[in-house]
Amino acid sequence: MLACVDQSAYGQSVSDAATWAARRLQAPMELLHVIDRHPRLASGQDHSGAIGLDAQESLLKQLSDEDEARTRAAREAGRAYLNGLRERALAAGAFVVDVRQRHGSLDTTLAELQDGVRLFVLGRRGASAQDTQRDLGRQLEWVVRSVSKPVLAVPQTFQAPSRVLFAFDGSAVTRQGVRMIAASPLLKGLPVHLLMAGKAQAQGPRQIEEARQALEAVGFSVTTDIQPGDPETAIASVMRSLQCDLLVMGVYSHSPWRSLFMGSKTTDLLRSAAAPTLLLR
Amino acid sequence: MTLQTLRQDWLSNVRNDLLAGLVVALALIPEAIAFSIIAGVDPKVGLYASFSIATIIAFTGGRPGMISAATGAMALLMVTLVKNHGLEYLLAATVLTGVLQVIAGWVRLGALMRFVSRSVVTGFVNALAILIFLAQLPELTNVTWHVYAMTAAGLAIIYGLPYLTKAVPSPLVTIVVLTAVAIALDLDIRTVGDMGALPDSLPVFLIPNVPLNWETLAIIFPYSLTLMVVGLLESLMTATIVDDLTDTKSDKNRECVGQGVANIATGFIGGMAGCAMIGQSVINVKSGGRGRLSTLAAGIFLLLMVVFLGDWVARIPMAALVAVMIMVSIGTFNWGSIKGLREHPKSSSVVMLATVVVTVATHDLAKGVLTGVLLSGFFFAHKVGQILRVRSHSGDEGRTRTYEVIGQVFFASADRFTNAFDYKEVIDKVRIDVSRAHFWDITAVSALDKAVLKFRREGTEVEVIGLNEASATMVDRFGVHDKDGAEDLLMGH
Repeated sequence: MLACVDQSAYGQSVSDAATWAARRLQAPMELLHVIDRHPRLASGQDHSGAIGLDAQESLLKQLSDEDEARTRAAREAGRAYLNGLRERALAAGAFVVDVRQRHGSLDTTLAELQDGVRLFVLGRRGASAQDTQRDLGRQLEWVVRSVSKPVLAVPQTFQAPSRVLFAFDGSAVTRQGVRMIAASPLLKGLPVHLLMAGKAQAQGPRQIEEARQALEAVGFSVTTDIQPGDPETAIASVMRSLQCDLLVMGVYSHSPWRSLFMGSKTTDLLRSAAAPTLLLR
Repeated sequence: MTLQTLRQDWLSNVRNDLLAGLVVALALIPEAIAFSIIAGVDPKVGLYASFSIATIIAFTGGRPGMISAATGAMALLMVTLVKNHGLEYLLAATVLTGVLQVIAGWVRLGALMRFVSRSVVTGFVNALAILIFLAQLPELTNVTWHVYAMTAAGLAIIYGLPYLTKAVPSPLVTIVVLTAVAIALDLDIRTVGDMGALPDSLPVFLIPNVPLNWETLAIIFPYSLTLMVVGLLESLMTATIVDDLTDTKSDKNRECVGQGVANIATGFIGGMAGCAMIGQSVINVKSGGRGRLSTLAAGIFLLLMVVFLGDWVARIPMAALVAVMIMVSIGTFNWGSIKGLREHPKSSSVVMLATVVVTVATHDLAKGVLTGVLLSGFFFAHKVGQILRVRSHSGDEGRTRTYEVIGQVFFASADRFTNAFDYKEVIDKVRIDVSRAHFWDITAVSALDKAVLKFRREGTEVEVIGLNEASATMVDRFGVHDKDGAEDLLMGH
């Protein structure tokens, strides 16, 4: 269990969601704060174009001094913030709460850490949420693409889910997802609604029936539904009408190139869903 | 390569990259002209080369934010080719250089850089700085006092202006002021226009006008080979410098291939071979350039300025260029290394100085680096050869003696090994325990054979213990040195 927080409005809900999941999975949780120095972002304001004695050495010293000061400040602030969240999670009854800070960019850091992790918890958006108009954090897609473990994306407030909507499309990813849900204690006991939306497929009814049997076999109470039409609106309206407060879906079966030109269904769905979303790869 | 890295490489730092690219382009113009003059070709050859190399390497290079263009190191290697065979052969050599660099990238020659020690790198940059400075002297000899005054004023502006403002590139101000002064006072001094043709149009594709036969290849191949080596050396060194400055990683083999592609294309549009530039890359990072956009911007701004301001560029006095080049030379030189001469181990200083001396004497950085690398190898072999101890003790009331050999036995220490035994001693039996020694090559084994033979001639019975363990390090036969567990084998006994 790894909860990735930054110092934004989303930090607390990420921590809460992680606490909820940690208690359900009976797994230790860890709060992670990634310090990204953005090495590609320059601060150079010297446009004199002149290089004097030992230009290279003095520039190296100047740049590393700047980085050092920035990183040190970020580290101290990060530590204080993490400890605050840790107290909160412990008070909410989480199992062993560990905190950790790492240098690097979020997606590569998580990809490096993913071996010992069962579930990542992230905010839908991050620290730049106030400044930008995007309704989905830019980092989220990168992270989801770079890790192969499930990711729980949470909105600004988190409540323990009471009803789950599983966006099932019969693809290998979602069939694998059904097996994962069935095997995991994370959603045990919650009513699950299997929804197959989009263009009608001949295999659809059979596949959804199989999924239902798989889930019912381990004690889930399952309802199913097949709705033709635009998946995005169908899912959104069912989420509302059935008052589901957790969306489960498989993600990014296509390459980034394809989604650059065609757009990505996953991203659209994520954008329109206001509830916490569990993304399965 | 994902979309995300593409985006980070290109668009994460747009404003700073564009500004830095502009600063670099302004500094590149005088350098490209100066290096063309060193090579003995028209300024337009260097200017086209700088545009094309910078633009292409922005896409193909492995080190975002590094500036490549026509360079002094490469220009110095072309002088005799241009003098004896003309520009067309230079263009053909440029294309061939690119091809060789692409091959070098594919076979991952970049890994050979690890044999270039720090002292050799320091020697390389110092020699480069000295050569750039020396190349300016023809402009400063047999001239009127006006030229000296102009150069001095130029240097004063270059180094003085940053104390007042860092918003404008001081080399640009130098060039503008000196050009204005020269025109206003109608001084009779040499200008860029006197040195040859400047670009009057965008570059066009052309195939070098040389006969495609073995004779041509025999002429250009030696030049291309040296150009390839020097180009890759300077590019990889510069990449390491930019890596350190920005605390990010680069892809060295991609850089080799990228340099090759850039040179191939450059040869076909009438430019001379080039490589990465240490000074310009430092200027780029200092001005805030980090991404590929900075390199691309530098190339494009350079071409635009030269093509549209060509008439003005022709009126820049050479004195202004000389001042800029002296700055580049001073900024490239590693001044700390002079202080280091006293503090560093003598062998490092000798390697550094030898690299400088050979390079400056031959005007060939490849020869200098080769000298430095060979010397480093000798010194290292010598030092490791010292790690050899032979102890002995007698037993059985003086009838036997046991020699215990500890350390590294190879070509450099084989004599020491052979001489460590006392052959004159009258004894019945000698036991040589080599289980804690390492025999690295056949020289070591034959040294042992020799010692054994000498004892036998004295009528002494010889027993060698632990030869299998000792010779396990003979890498050619057993190849264990690079396997897992080799450190246990080598350190354990």
